[in-house]
Amino acid sequence: MRLSLAAAISHGRVHRRLGLGPRSRLDMLRNLVTALVRHERIETYWSRADEMRFYAERLIDYAKRGDTDEKAMRMADFWLTEKDLIHKLFKLLAPRFQSHSGNYTRLLQIPNRENLDRAKMAVIEYKGNPFPPLIVLHRANEKTLLNQLLKGYREDILKTRATQVPEGAAASLHSGTAV
Amino acid sequence: MAAACWRALARASAARPGARCRCFSSSGLLRANSGEPTKFQPPPKPVIVDKHKEVVERRFLSPEFIPPRDRTDPLKFYIERTDMIRRRKVLDVPEFYVGSILSVTTADPYASDKTSRFVGICIQRGGKGLGATFVLRNIIEGQGVEFCYELYNPRIQEIKVLKLEKRLDDNLMYLRDALPVYSTFDVNMKPVPHSANDEIPVNQLKVKMKPKPWTKRWERPKFNIQGISFELSEEMMKEAQKWSQPWIQFDMLREYDTSKLEKEIWKEVNEELKK
Repeated sequence: MRLSLAAAISHGRVHRRLGLGPRSRLDMLRNLVTALVRHERIETYWSRADEMRFYAERLIDYAKRGDTDEKAMRMADFWLTEKDLIHKLFKLLAPRFQSHSGNYTRLLQIPNRENLDRAKMAVIEYKGNPFPPLIVLHRANEKTLLNQLLKGYREDILKTRATQVPEGAAASLHSGTAV
Repeated sequence: MAAACWRALARASAARPGARCRCFSSSGLLRANSGEPTKFQPPPKPVIVDKHKEVVERRFLSPEFIPPRDRTDPLKFYIERTDMIRRRKVLDVPEFYVGSILSVTTADPYASDKTSRFVGICIQRGGKGLGATFVLRNIIEGQGVEFCYELYNPRIQEIKVLKLEKRLDDNLMYLRDALPVYSTFDVNMKPVPHSANDEIPVNQLKVKMKPKPWTKRWERPKFNIQGISFELSEEMMKEAQKWSQPWIQFDMLREYDTSKLEKEIWKEVNEELKK
């Protein structure tokens, strides 16, 4: 269900064919979702992670309905093959994302698998997990060459302006008197 | 004379308390009877409470207004909607469902009075936007006849609902394989009155089928048909269950929640139609 060229030419069939058929596909995704709910950060093939992402997010949407909702409970029962996780889903994950309206997961590509088949791999995680962040945002550093150059440029501009402003003002004053 | 009559009636109702509810309340009369009946007391006037006014008006949005689930530009559907509203201002398109009995009058250049009328049961509603269709079926002189009308075809002059009801299924194409009794309707049928605020009645009819083979294997779970009383052997019904896909209801990406969209479109359409 994503907007891409592959989806555009596939006549509405916008999901990957994984596993040994439709049932196998869903079973595979089910196991991945269960693993994601348990570990909150997992590493799989990029394609599977990308496919599973929608389901992991929809599951949170259902969990937000509360554990008294029958449909939500049935969904959780299907998608979590390990039943001890149902409690975690409703009591931990659903409150965590209560203030969010979507985008509960983060998908990042990692280097291709080295040893076997060079498969495209990815890491998928629920946001707000207790692990150290995958991407460390670097603070703006003044000491880089580019920033130094920009700083110098900015200062130059300010200097020229300081020298030019009185002339400009005088000119405008002069023209004002002329009119 | 009248008082005597009332007393007799009151006595009769006192003797048979079960029957009291069928005639009017007579408790006041009874009390008067036990004392001294001096004057004739007219029974209280029945107060007719119109419950319908209290009920919130039912919102009905014709299904062709809801755009299908694909990545077509919404502008296309918006433009089509404006055209549909323009047509609806000229032609009264009533609320109807699959299973309702309709009569449709169309322009027909070859008929003697330039119009032709067809009565039948709506067995399918198809299409979205301006190209929406509905199929009427009837059996005329022993021959099954089906008409697929385009709802916004300018040749349609009148659409009239003779009987507003739903069936157990959203598609009645299986009537083709059912016994002809179930799709035979009187051409001169009189319209059944229906209040605008009532719930739509659901006809719980289960049809009987002709012997196999049918146009489709209706017993298979894919069709999920409630309106047929299958008279197949247990083995055949078990065989049909081989095609069931119980996991499909858990595929959350198959869901198409139109409730929000429906509200928006209903508002838009309603405002335009009122102008």
